[in-house]
Order: sequence, then C-alpha cells, then structure tokens
Amino acid sequence: MAYFIQRLLSMAVTLFLISIITFTVTNILPGDVAMMIMGTQSNPAALENLRENLGLNDPLVYQYGRWIFGMLTGDWGNSLLFKQPIGPIILQKMTASALIVLLSMTIALTLAVPLGVWSAVYKNRWQDTASSSVSILGVSLPDFFWGIMLILLFARALGWFPSSGFVHPNEDFLMALKHAFLPSLALGLGLMAHLTRMTRATMTGILSQEFIRVARAKGLAEKTVIWQYGLANAIGPVMTVAGLQMGYLFGSIIVMESLFNYTGMGWLTYQALLNRDMPLIQATVFVIAAVVMLVNLIVDLLYPFFDPRIQLK
Amino acid sequence: MSIFKKFLTFKGIIGITLVLCVVLIAIFAPLIIPPEFATKMDMRARLSPPNMAHWMGTDQLGRDLFYRVMLGARTSINIATSAVLMSLVIGLPLGLVSGYFGGRTDNVLMRLVDTLLSFPALLLALTISAVLGPNLQNTIIAIGIAFTPYLARLIRGEALRVAQMPYVEAARSSGATNSRLIIGHVLPNIMPVVIVQSTISLAFAILAEAGLSFLGLGTQPPEASWGLMIQASRDYLDRAPWTALVPGTAVALTVLGLNMFGDVLRDVLDPRSQS
Amino acid sequence: MTERNKLSSKLDTQIDDPIVSLDHLRVEFETDGGTVVAVNDISFKVFPGETVCLVGESGSGKSVTSLSLMRLVEFGGGQITGGKMLLSRDGKKTANLSEVDVDTMRSIRGNEIGMIFQEPMTSLNPVFSIERQLTDGLRLHTNLSASETREKAIELLKEVRIPDPEKRLRQYPHELSGGMRQRVVIAIAMACRPRLLIADEPTTALDVTIQAEILSLINRLKRETGMAVLFITHDMAVVAQMADRVVVMYQGNLIEEGTVNEIFSAPKEEYTKALLAAVPQLGQMAGTSLPSPLNIPGATFTVKPPRDDIGIEKKTLLEVKNLVTRFPVYGGIFRRKVANVHAVENVSFTIDRGETMALVGESGCGKSSCGRSILRLVEPESGEIFLNGKNIISLNSSELRSARRDMQMVFQDPYASLNPYMRLREQIAEPLNNFGLAGRSEVDDIVRDILEKVELPTSFLRRFPHELSGGQRQRVAIARAIVVNPSLVITDEAVSALDVSVQAQVLNLMMSLQDELGLSYLFISHDMAVVERVSHKVGVMYLGRLVEVGTRSQIFENPQHEYTRTLMAAVPIADPKKRNISNDMNFKPIPSPVFPVGHNPENPIYEEIEDGHLILRN
Repeated sequence: MAYFIQRLLSMAVTLFLISIITFTVTNILPGDVAMMIMGTQSNPAALENLRENLGLNDPLVYQYGRWIFGMLTGDWGNSLLFKQPIGPIILQKMTASALIVLLSMTIALTLAVPLGVWSAVYKNRWQDTASSSVSILGVSLPDFFWGIMLILLFARALGWFPSSGFVHPNEDFLMALKHAFLPSLALGLGLMAHLTRMTRATMTGILSQEFIRVARAKGLAEKTVIWQYGLANAIGPVMTVAGLQMGYLFGSIIVMESLFNYTGMGWLTYQALLNRDMPLIQATVFVIAAVVMLVNLIVDLLYPFFDPRIQLK
Repeated sequence: MSIFKKFLTFKGIIGITLVLCVVLIAIFAPLIIPPEFATKMDMRARLSPPNMAHWMGTDQLGRDLFYRVMLGARTSINIATSAVLMSLVIGLPLGLVSGYFGGRTDNVLMRLVDTLLSFPALLLALTISAVLGPNLQNTIIAIGIAFTPYLARLIRGEALRVAQMPYVEAARSSGATNSRLIIGHVLPNIMPVVIVQSTISLAFAILAEAGLSFLGLGTQPPEASWGLMIQASRDYLDRAPWTALVPGTAVALTVLGLNMFGDVLRDVLDPRSQS
Repeated sequence: MTERNKLSSKLDTQIDDPIVSLDHLRVEFETDGGTVVAVNDISFKVFPGETVCLVGESGSGKSVTSLSLMRLVEFGGGQITGGKMLLSRDGKKTANLSEVDVDTMRSIRGNEIGMIFQEPMTSLNPVFSIERQLTDGLRLHTNLSASETREKAIELLKEVRIPDPEKRLRQYPHELSGGMRQRVVIAIAMACRPRLLIADEPTTALDVTIQAEILSLINRLKRETGMAVLFITHDMAVVAQMADRVVVMYQGNLIEEGTVNEIFSAPKEEYTKALLAAVPQLGQMAGTSLPSPLNIPGATFTVKPPRDDIGIEKKTLLEVKNLVTRFPVYGGIFRRKVANVHAVENVSFTIDRGETMALVGESGCGKSSCGRSILRLVEPESGEIFLNGKNIISLNSSELRSARRDMQMVFQDPYASLNPYMRLREQIAEPLNNFGLAGRSEVDDIVRDILEKVELPTSFLRRFPHELSGGQRQRVAIARAIVVNPSLVITDEAVSALDVSVQAQVLNLMMSLQDELGLSYLFISHDMAVVERVSHKVGVMYLGRLVEVGTRSQIFENPQHEYTRTLMAAVPIADPKKRNISNDMNFKPIPSPVFPVGHNPENPIYEEIEDGHLILRN
C-alpha cells in the first residue's frame, strides 16, 4: 500500500515536471496567438484588447498557473485551428491512436517473443543468424518506409486494405480494424525487430543461469526447461522494454498517421505543430507525455506479478 | 590479432562496407559531382523510371535521382553526426557526474532525465524544430536535444557501475583525486558503451532526420536530404514508386550498415554481452 | 570396506558391482583458440554406499567429468569424444551413458542419478514456488497424484531438516537463506531416491557453519539411503572429512587414486604431494607462536620474531577504539531511514608493527566493513582510529588523502581490482604519481623493484590485466599496495578466490614481505586454517561485534566464547583421522544485524582471562 502511494506521489511530481517542460518549450514559439485568432490584418488596438483578455500579457508564471489549472479541471481551452473545445477532440483522436498502438504492440510481441526465445536457444547457429538478420533489417528501415511498402503492396497492388482514412470502432468495428491494420503492421514490424533482440538478450542471460541446469538435471524435457522455466523469467524484463517502447511508438504514430491520413493523436499533433495552434500543441504534447508516463507506471505496478522478488511493499 | 578477426564476421564485413561506402560518398560526392547535375530540371523526362540516361530515374521536376541521392548523403550524414555529437557533449558529462557522485545530484538529474524520456524523442524533436523554425541547423539542435536524455541515462548507468568497482576504490585509497578517478579510470571503462551507443544513435539520427523532413519540419528546400526526397515523392507513389524507393533504400542501407557495425563493435569491445 | 559390508546386508544386492564406472572418458570443447581437451582418459568406479571425492584445482576437469555423467556437458558446448560411462541400473541392463538416447537419459536424470550444484543463490528458479520446483521432478518420474506429490514434498523438506515445511512450500526462493536453499536443492535431487548423488562443489559458496551442516546432512542421507556420493571439490579439508576414496585430477588427467588415508598419509605422485603441502591444516600450528610459511616448493625462508628494540610508543601502529559503522536502510513512503545495519558495533583492537592481526567471521559479521572503515572507504559513525598516533576519523579530505599513504588495501576479487584498460606499469605507479612521491625516472625504478619483490617478471609491466592469471593479478595488487611503503596493509579476503597452490604462494609472499619490510597486516578472512597459519593475533567477529580477541595460539588452542567454539567445531580439518564433521550438525542461523533507528546496543564488556585474551561477556 505504501509503495502504491509512493508511486502515485512520484507520478504527480513527474506530471508536474512534464507540464513545466511542455509549457516552457512551447512558449518559445514565435507568433502571436491573438493574430492567429483574428488574422494578421486586424486593428492593432483590437489585437491588443484580445491579448489583454486572453491574458497573454501577464507574467509567464500566471499563464502557466491558469493553463495547468485548466488542464486539471477539464477546461482544456479551444483549438485555434478547429475552433472547438480541445478536450473532446483529443479524446476522440486518442481512441483512434489507442487502437493502433495496442494493435501494433500485440503484433510485435506475438512475433518477437517466440522468435527471440528461438534465437537464444539456437544462439550463434543458422537460426540465430537468420533471425538476427531479419531483426536488424526491421530496425533499420524507417517506419514510414515500411508504411510506403505496405501501401504499395497491400493497398495499391492487392487492394486488401484501405490506404488512408479512419473509422471509429464504435461505428464499424471491422472497418475500423481494416483501416488500422496497415499502419499497425508497419509500426509493429519495426517494433518487433527491437523486441526480438531484447528477448534474445534476456533469454541468453537466463539460459546461462544455474537453475536451468538444475531443471535439466531433474530430467525435465528441454521444451519445458526453456518455455516454462526460462521464459517465465524473461517476461518481466521484456514487459519493461515493451513499456519503454510505448514512448517510441507514440512518436512514430505522428509520421505513420500522416502517411495513412489516419486521424489519430499523431495526426492531430502534427496538424497543431504545422499550424502553430498553441493551445492544441500544449494539450497534445502534455497528454502524450502523460500517457507514456502512465503506461510505464502500470508496467511498474504489474511487475510483482512477473517476478515475486519485487514486491509492492 | 584476434580483435580484427572478430570484425571479419558476415555482419561485420557488410556493416563496415556499407558504412565506408556511405561515408566516402558523403565526403567525395559533392567534390566530384557538379551541383547542376542534381538540380537540373528536365520536364520532358519527369517521373521517368530508371534508364540509361538517368540511372535511378527522375523525380517530378525531372531531376536525376542518382545524383540527388549521392549529394543528399552529405546532408543527412552531416545532420546525424552533428546531432549525435551534440547529445554527447551534453549527455556524457551529465551522465558521468551523475553516476559517479550519486546521491542527491544523481536523484535530481535523473528525475529530470526520466521526465524528458516520457516525451517520445520524435515528438520532442518535432516540437523543438517547429518552435525554432525548421531549417538545417535547427534540425540538428532538435535531434540532438531529443537524443540527449537517452544517452545521459545510459552513460549514468555505466558510470554508476564502474564507480563501484574495486579498482576505483583501490585508486581512491591510493590517493587519486576525484577528477583523476573520473577521467583516468571511469571514463576509459565506459568508452565501449559510449562508442557502441553513438554508432547506434547515428542510425537513429538518420531515421529521425528522414522522419522530420518527411513531415516538412526538417531540412527545407533547396537543401537536398534523403528525407526531403521521400517527402517529395508522396504524391507520386502510384505512378513512380522509384521516387520513394531510391532515397528510402539509401536511408535503409546506411542505417543497416550502422546497426551492423554497431553490433559488431559491441561484440568486440564488450565481451560481457556475449554471454 | 566395513561400510560396504554393512550396506551389503542391508540391501541384499551385489555390493561388488559399481554403480558407475568411467572407462577412458574423453571430453572436448571447441573454442575460438581450437579444440580443448577438458578430460583426457579418466577411469574410475563408484561403489554403492561410498563417497568418492573428485578433487582438483580450476581447470582440472572435475566439474566437466560430473557434467558428462549427467550428459549435461553438451549443453555447454562439450562433446564426449571417447570412452564409456557405465551405469548399473536397478532391474535393467547396464547402460552406457555416453551412448544412450535422449529419452533414456532424461529418465535417468533426477531419478537414478541426482545432482546438486555450487551456487544456492541461483540454483532455484526465482519465479516459481518451492512446491513447484520440488514436485515437477516427482510428477515426471513417478505416478503419484497431485496430493501425493505434495505430501512427498513435505516429507522431503523434513528429511533435509527444513523447519516449517508447509509454509516453505508456498514460498519463493528469495525468501530463503543460502543454506536453506541448498537444502531444498538437495531435497530436489533426492526426491526420487537416486542411487548416485553427484555433488559439484555444493558448499564452496557457503559459510563454514552452514557448510558443516550441509556436509553432515549429505553424510546422513547417504547412510540412511545407501546411495553413493560423487563429491567434487577443490577443498582438501572437505575431502579429508567426507571421502572414502579420493581421485585427484589435474588439467584433465587422473593423477592419483586411492583411499582417503592412502592419499593423505602416503601420496605417491608429485602433484598430490604438492597439493597437500599447500593446504593449511587446522591445528598444525599448535605450540608455535609465529606465522609459518606453507611448505611448498620454493619456500625457503622462516619468519623471524618481531623486533624487540622498538620503543613501546613506537611499537603500536594501529589503535582502533570503539569503532561504530552503520549503513542506513531506506523504506516507507518517503524513503526515510527505517533501520540501520549495525555493520561494526563498538570494535576496539590494536596492531603492532610487523604484526599480522586477523579478523575472522562468517558473512555479515562486519569484518570487511571494519577494514573499509579504517581506511574510511566507508564513513564510520563514531569511534577513533589512531594510525601512528594520528586520529584518522578527524582528518579532512586532503589530510585523509595523505594519511592513506601509510595504509593500503588489497581486495578480494583479482579480476575486479585492476582497471582492465590500464597497463600494469601505470597501475602500480599510480599511487606514487598520485602522492607525487617521485619523479618520472625514479618511478620506473621503484616499480621495477617492487615487481621483483612480488616475484613477477618485468615484462609484465607492458601487459594488461586480462593477460594475467588470478594469482598473478593478486601479486600486482600487492605490488600496488606496497609501492608507497605503507606501514599497514589491509587484505580483504585477498586469497579466497585463488586456487590452493596459488593461495599458498601468495600467502608465503605476504609473509616474506612482512619479514623484509616490517609490514603490518590486517588480514580479513573467513578461512580459519589460513588464519592460523599467517597471524600473530586474531579477532573473532559476530554480528558486528568483536566477541573474542587474543594471540593466535590463545584463540586456536583455548577458545572461550561460545561463537568461537562453534566456529572451530565447524571448520573441516584436513586430516582424515580427525573427522569432526559427522553427525547431523545444526548451528544457529546467522542473524542479520539490522536494527530499528535509534537502537543503541549496550557497550561491550570484556573479560580478560589471560594476558591479552579478551572475551565478550554481554
């Protein structure tokens, strides 16, 4: 219980720091919010009036305070680009991206873990070389390159999947999956490569430990030794790495969603940056960082289930 | 010597060859190829597939892709190298001091670094680039800053490990000052990790530059970089896929070479990773 | 022979048939540097009811032999390239283990042959419960139902004398101490009543009292079940205690074989003789008062008594008074200090010039922390440390730096105490350079000189640590320690990680350096037999406190404190005629000195029963 509270407090501190960093970085943005709202040709007096009303002339600390208070109480301001409250927009786009993120992580883990274990077992033999070649290829090609290839192959040539657009899962789950599939696959392939190498490294370390020998000395079948005794110890570290990769994923979706015209958080953030929509930029960057932090916190809290040595004390 | 033998693996040979090729092209191509070759527009030959006149085809403005990709090498390598160097200049001292001294300093610094790690690197780079205004220099700064937390954390971990080794204690009890310990003992022992990680970071930096330019927040025309070339090809994927494949393959081969080279370096410099 | 006859009537089987018979076994490994022959033409037999000790130093091939018997050696890249390993089976035809198929071998492992390994800390799967690890072998080899296997598991735990077995079943390995884990490992190996138990260095990583418990446990199980034991070890004292017969190996070859009495009193081969000469035997020093070098080839000097002509004030080199060192334990919500580890609790002793004082004890007793506190590598909480009259505790950092000229340390791990990226010349010269004691050309001369003193060739100066063996590295560490001419050298388990013969050489070197340079040593060790050999004075530590201190002959010939006596009783003696590890031995578990914040133990009260012999009474 105490550990739980400790982590919550820690999370609060981190969130605070995240908000400060977000606010500071985005406030170096040149360009006048007032001008963006009213247009560059407006009356200078009216612009000044708007600035006063928006509180843009107040000291930065006040502005920060107002902003963070708003974030915490649900008032996320309005987007300059979309002329709508930011909150609902982000919620909707977040759902879209969540679909991709979860799908790609699932694809990646399902492929990477068995492949990684297999490579570790056959370390330095042809199976290992083959799989590490594939992994290295996967890590080396940019995500959007995979995306382009997949578009060319599956969308244009074969026509199995759409190459752009987004459908909300609530409307039509199957269509939603179809639209999400190619981007998720593209992301998943790159992710899989990295996770395979991590799994292989972790398993290699595990397989050199004494308890593996003891298990063999009991007469257990090699399959049991590797896939039960060995793998059970690898889940913890692999999950941790997967959690860290979430951060990387949320960065990659910015490019991937643009490529596929998939209107999720990544696409939203990109639009915000491109159009200098300050409130939206601040909100999206903050939310993404907060989500990444949350995911890692969840992995941390789940860790005792993978490894009884670590306890929620 | 047995060290060089370790480089002679399949991975090693390919890795070194690729890296060497790219570096040589980056250095010498702009000296050999006149810049007009890459900027000359020939609208009659626009979007033509690879043929005898244009070995890798032409883009939407009729420019020869082969020369463009050769010249683009310098830009991309330049950006990547500068960015990684920048992250080293900030991250190495930070990680070293944090890991060696530990305690309060370490706690505070790592807290900051961990928070920065919650921001996806690409997002950070994009934001910084958008904020500063996208151009070549700012791309370097953006990528450099985005990579620093990861490097700092890694170096701090290594410095922490080495600082606790008996030989550091032995040196301390034989009268070494802190600066002597850090520079003479800790630094040489973390170099393998730093070198390997820098190589891998170079690979990621090239990918990052490609990504940023693809989104329009990286290098801007008239600079030619591979990312920019891929971005330009977006609208012509159906008609002329080679416009994307040529720069894409260039990126892929460079990153592949760097990753392989980094892997082999790791095997050579850090035998612990073998087990 | 008597054991076997007794067994014969019990088991009603042909006792003259060996359980396992190795016949010209040859095992090879493929490495980067070519093919390595790890075991070359080994032949011996193990009969029911007897303990055969396979003894040798590192690289002797003893472990490889045992792993080959279990056909586990292939998993590490080894290949059995010649010879037979015949296993006589109950009711079945004798099998040649070099040739059996995988399934047959799996049915033999954990069933007819059980094996236990060296590292109890990593021998158990950290994420599986004890119950699971005990029962999956049973479920594999027997037809017992789930509840029956669980009951059997509890029985097994009781057999290895683990208290509260039902509770243990639900626990995970990290909740058990090292000794208990090793008992669980033994229980796992015994689960299916194997006819042969292979024990590969099972007690090497354990404290001496726990070692005694485990050794006596193995003996008892052997007597009760009639199984044979193949015991692999490098420790001749353990061999003397456990073996019926001994097989000596060196670099993959079988050097000598015989009964334990034959080997110890009438060894035939040179290697065996040298090995025995290098082993310090507890009790050999009775009646003497000075340290004595081990009688290995090349040892020609004798230790002179310390000089009498030094004045009384100048005689005392180090005086430690009421030293207290504690380490904080953080926990709770705000990471506050919730407890303290009382590593060194109110310790006082003195060391004279040219004298070796030993600090002995088991893990966690605080002897290492004591040594490091004296050098202020960890900061003591209170107390005084007078080196040549200067109080080390009160010095500021630059004064401390110069005070360290006079006391240096040699660490335990020869592999980690040298910087892998620095040439040896620079590492030995470093203390000279740090203190600015000599100009560049002088430094070179001094370094050469020192290297000669530690009996290493000057060509080593150009080398890097990884090019040297463990013993050579330790000599370099010693050279680095003495190059600034300190008065005190603290050695923290400096020989514990070395092979027996190398250990003897390094110990002799240390003693001759003491003779030549008038060095004093604070010799921290857990090995009583070694301590008996090299010390003038001995201090016994337990739970951070000094429970008994006196001259070496006082402590070893007349131990008074309960803990000292326990320790003495548990140390195996390297003489088969003096067996002290026999019955089921049980010692108090070693407690951990963690106390809540603010706990202040009372001051120690010592009773002096003879001149200089102090015993803790509270």
